[in-house]
Amino acid sequence: MPVAASAIYFLNLRGDVLINRLYRDDVGGNMVDAFRTHIMQTKEMGTCPVRQIGGCSFLYMRISNVYIVIVVSSNANAASSFKFVVEAVALFKSYFGGNFDEDAIRNNFVLIYELLDEIMDFGYPQNLSPEILKLYITQEGIRSPFSSKASEKPVPNATLQVTGAVGWRREGLHYKKNEVFLDIVESVNLLMSSKGSVLRCDVTGKILMKCFLSGMPDLKLGLNDKIGLEKESQLKARPTRSGKTIELDDVTFHQCVNLTRFNSEKTVSFVPPDGEFELMKYRITEGVNLPFRVLPTIKELGRTRLEVNVNVKSSYGAKMFALGVVVKVPVPKQTAKTSFQVTTGKAKYNASIDCLVWKIRKFPGQTEATMNAEVELISTMGEKKAVTRPPIQMEFQVPMFTASGLRVRFLKVWEKSGYNTVEWVRYITKAGSYEIRC
Amino acid sequence: MAPPVSTPKSASPSQPSGKSEVTDLKLQLRHLAGSRAPGADDAKRDLFKRVISCMTVGIDVSPAFSEMVMCSATSDVVLKKMCYLYVGNYARCNPDLALLTINFLQKDCHDQDPTIRGLALRSLCSLRVQNLVEYLVAPLAAGLKDHSSYVRTVAAIGVLKLYHISATMCHDSDFPAALKALMLSDPDAQVVANCLYSLLEIWTQDAANSDEAAREIEALYGKSIIYYLLNRIKDFSEWAQCLVLDLVSKYIPSDNNEIFDMMNLLEDRLQHANGAVVLATIKVFLHLTMSMTDVHQQVYERIKAPLLTLVGAGSPEQSYAVLCHLHLLVMRAPMLFSSDYKHFYCQFSDPSYVKKLKLEMLTAIANESNTYEIVTELCEYAGNVDVPIAQESIRAVGKIALQQYDVNAIVDRLLQFLEMEKDYVTAETLVLVKDLLRKYPQWSHDCIAVVGNISSNSIQEPKAKAALIWMLGEYSQDMMDAPYVLESLVENWEEEHSPEVRLHLLTAVMKCFFKRAPETQKALGAALAAGLADNNQDVHDRALFYYRLLQYDVAVAERVVNPPKQAVSVFADTQSSEIKDRIFDEFNSLSVVYQKPSYLFTDKEHRGPFEFSEDLSNLAIGGDSGDDVIHSAQRYEENDKDLLLSTSDKEENGGPTHNGSSTYSAPSDVNSSTSLVSSSTTQPAAFAIDDLLGLGVLDTPVLPPPPALSLNAKPVLDPGTFQKKWGQLTVSSSQESTLSIQGVASLTAPQSLIKHMQNNSIQCIASGGQPPNYKFFFFAQKEGSSSFFLVECIVNTASAKAQIKIKADDASASDAFASLFQSALSNFGSS
Repeated sequence: MPVAASAIYFLNLRGDVLINRLYRDDVGGNMVDAFRTHIMQTKEMGTCPVRQIGGCSFLYMRISNVYIVIVVSSNANAASSFKFVVEAVALFKSYFGGNFDEDAIRNNFVLIYELLDEIMDFGYPQNLSPEILKLYITQEGIRSPFSSKASEKPVPNATLQVTGAVGWRREGLHYKKNEVFLDIVESVNLLMSSKGSVLRCDVTGKILMKCFLSGMPDLKLGLNDKIGLEKESQLKARPTRSGKTIELDDVTFHQCVNLTRFNSEKTVSFVPPDGEFELMKYRITEGVNLPFRVLPTIKELGRTRLEVNVNVKSSYGAKMFALGVVVKVPVPKQTAKTSFQVTTGKAKYNASIDCLVWKIRKFPGQTEATMNAEVELISTMGEKKAVTRPPIQMEFQVPMFTASGLRVRFLKVWEKSGYNTVEWVRYITKAGSYEIRC
Repeated sequence: MAPPVSTPKSASPSQPSGKSEVTDLKLQLRHLAGSRAPGADDAKRDLFKRVISCMTVGIDVSPAFSEMVMCSATSDVVLKKMCYLYVGNYARCNPDLALLTINFLQKDCHDQDPTIRGLALRSLCSLRVQNLVEYLVAPLAAGLKDHSSYVRTVAAIGVLKLYHISATMCHDSDFPAALKALMLSDPDAQVVANCLYSLLEIWTQDAANSDEAAREIEALYGKSIIYYLLNRIKDFSEWAQCLVLDLVSKYIPSDNNEIFDMMNLLEDRLQHANGAVVLATIKVFLHLTMSMTDVHQQVYERIKAPLLTLVGAGSPEQSYAVLCHLHLLVMRAPMLFSSDYKHFYCQFSDPSYVKKLKLEMLTAIANESNTYEIVTELCEYAGNVDVPIAQESIRAVGKIALQQYDVNAIVDRLLQFLEMEKDYVTAETLVLVKDLLRKYPQWSHDCIAVVGNISSNSIQEPKAKAALIWMLGEYSQDMMDAPYVLESLVENWEEEHSPEVRLHLLTAVMKCFFKRAPETQKALGAALAAGLADNNQDVHDRALFYYRLLQYDVAVAERVVNPPKQAVSVFADTQSSEIKDRIFDEFNSLSVVYQKPSYLFTDKEHRGPFEFSEDLSNLAIGGDSGDDVIHSAQRYEENDKDLLLSTSDKEENGGPTHNGSSTYSAPSDVNSSTSLVSSSTTQPAAFAIDDLLGLGVLDTPVLPPPPALSLNAKPVLDPGTFQKKWGQLTVSSSQESTLSIQGVASLTAPQSLIKHMQNNSIQCIASGGQPPNYKFFFFAQKEGSSSFFLVECIVNTASAKAQIKIKADDASASDAFASLFQSALSNFGSS
């Protein structure tokens, strides 16, 4: 049977309670002390996010400088507890503007109490949908940038939920200008061996939407993914036009997407919530276009010198460019002196992370850049062989490029009043964990 | 966005100074209480906020209770909420004051605004004050019938709160029935979900005492309710969907068509954005198809992609929770995941708890086609800066080697690890090489060449040192300087802190002695002398045992210590399949994360003994219990040679006087159950060997053997006589004993224990019972006498306890028998 949370705590890094909510009496009041003495003040911290102390299980996670701890007294569902925390934090963020940290909690504690009351009752998760919560939350700090009519007067929610199908959208919304923004955001994860072979590579993407649409619009989204295109070519009995189709390994959708229709007709159709939301998430492992190739050579010259040479090639279209490219090359702790030669950008040694950090603000497509660095080490006793070095890590953003090749083919908006809409589509590819061993 | 601060007075919740602050607040509240001025509400809000901020930082603001209540007569929702929060927090410690609030809470339960009605009802139910229960019933009953679904959701959970304060009150008002009706008819899905939460909890708790509740629970898992919920599943919120899916996973469909219908209906849940829903769906799929092997396999294929996505998405904590489940599935069906090995490669930034799981999975899915890649990847981690992970990955390489047929390449890699000259790498590798050699003796030549170059001084880790010493003993004929290395180790006996290493050293020197006697003689003498003087009981006993054995007959000693070995074909699995199945039944819960069934960590009465008995079983297994090797080679042999279980009088047992030269008490440590042979044959001492070993000083006096109780291996007693004797005799010993965790796991049927006891010369005459309770009647006969021991033994597998009643013809031997019986029982499952 499902098991309810007995308590939830918000602690700062020192272990002070910022906010707590005891939902049940089956755990003692000294639970925080147990957490502090047995987890926070020991080496246990960080070894496992689920711990059992004296019959209670502690599920904890750290978000910025706050620990959120859920205490349960029996065999709870770990995955759903963590998901709940993540969702709750997202909700808090939407209320107090972006940041979730100790200060934000201290400044908004009444609001958080109020939210905690609504999203969980007696330890059972209730409604976390911001749209519906707006009806009950009275505290300031509510931001409603998307809707002009937000929560002026509570609408009895019975009507909302009785109509059933669209609990995530209020009726009677109106915008002067009807706009839809759609962002495809992909992050590329790469693990490349020192010899340049790809050990592991995948893309996790999400489609983010921002809708400012009046009424109850019905949206339909077409992508160049394999399932959708195949279905379409069957229906229209003609071959697909564009050569490239993308095979999605796995897709998950926002609850607004009609999954029955996705499974039968293979189209993504939905009535969107108002404002910003994540429409779908997907994962791709085949046919990933890596935006960058990195070739490192690191030579040890004697015991106290290293020669580092890193060559980075961009493989996206010549008209595109990447922003905020950062290459981090790990060097030994005992680095004393460094000197650099770079073809573009700036490089320096960052002692706090033991890395050579090479930054390139703008990196055009189909070009390459090189960094040569000489590293002098303080000679040390013992330690004959160097440990295997941590991998080179890379950060970047490439606008208008998708590593998977996914494209929006169409986005149709249909509403009974028949207004015109403006659609905006953007693409961006970011580095997930982009690691090259050296 | 910070809440706007209207007056400078209501500063941020910085640490207020305590008492004066509270009195100050009280004054201000009293001042405002009656005020109807236009700005009064704003001023009150600020004050309330200050009160609550004090409450949050832990200052006791309960003295302001009455003032707060006075101020709460307002129509302002914001104020009301803060006031409810305050009341909810302090009502429990001030039940009398809480009575003050009942009035306005009850009034608010009839407010026009459903939000206020709901709030008031929730706060009313959350007071958790025993003597206010009577005021709850009427508002709850009204709440359940409220036309606002918000109020109904609150009321449904409110019933559960009432149940926890007073179960009788809850039943007297007939709330469970009302909830059930509501659950089956309410148009709002959240109301249905909350009713379900409450009913499940109420009836599950009642089911122990009431048949009716048990029937109701059964009905919840029945077809009509499950179908009703399934048909509405899309109306539910994501969390409520998890609840429904959890319920569905316990439903038993009548035929295969029904299973397929349900799976078709739920398939799109696998694409839900909420990972918790996906996992709950996976549980349903897995459990539905348990009986259909091929479909079950297809389910694995189907759920792979969503699981891998979940692992990659979200925070490390979330992916850990999912990985634990993936880990479970991988362990159940490694072949199905063998092509996905790349997903389990560790990222540099993964936290170590994630890496550890990934390493275990990589180990499990290695097969002929992917071993090369996996081992290459694992070798990368061996140089990792994170030492535990580096060790773990070396261990993984070794485990893969033990699984595979073609170990050639892996052995080379392992030997390369030894050349890395990092202490922890060398240490870990040595342990592995030892295990490898036990399975593949044919590799000894290559390994020995490398191992021989390792200086024993550079190794600190006891396990590694023990492994090295084992190899020195085992392969002393191939290692040129083995006797001398051992000799120098013996010389440093005092500096060796780990008893495990000393035990191994003793045995290794013995082995070496049988192969290269002239070179080792000196070392053996020194080792035995040091061993006999050792403080550690086990070391002392083993040294004495070897000494006596050598005195008795060197040829026998060689047979005992150094028999021809058979390669170990399978290393024991640490978890029994029964426990694994239990964990699988509890998919999507903490059991999977902890990797143990829930009764081991939730049930209060079991928690204590089990932790204890785990310790016990570790003891019994000996020093090697850390890895999957159950017994180190030598220990294993000795256990096999347990010809007799020697027992001695309790007083003697407890006596600390073991100096090894004057008195000798048989080591009958019940816990470790590695009793040694102490037969009368040791008496005719062969003194000659003393001189050979240079032990002449230790002139051991001949001792009478302890009164060993030995049992007739094949006693005969017919049931009629048993019954008669049972009736006649009085209970001579009644005890409670704890079973080891392995024992409980092995006790799937009474036969397993019966067989085990038979091996210990204790026969079963009758047995019966259903899990978790088994009852046995055993009997045994004293060797060479007609006196019988009768035992009644009731085993509870849930608590791992056994109640033992012993009746004996010869009451004087009953203590000895009791300890023998207990030792046999605690040994159950561990061999």
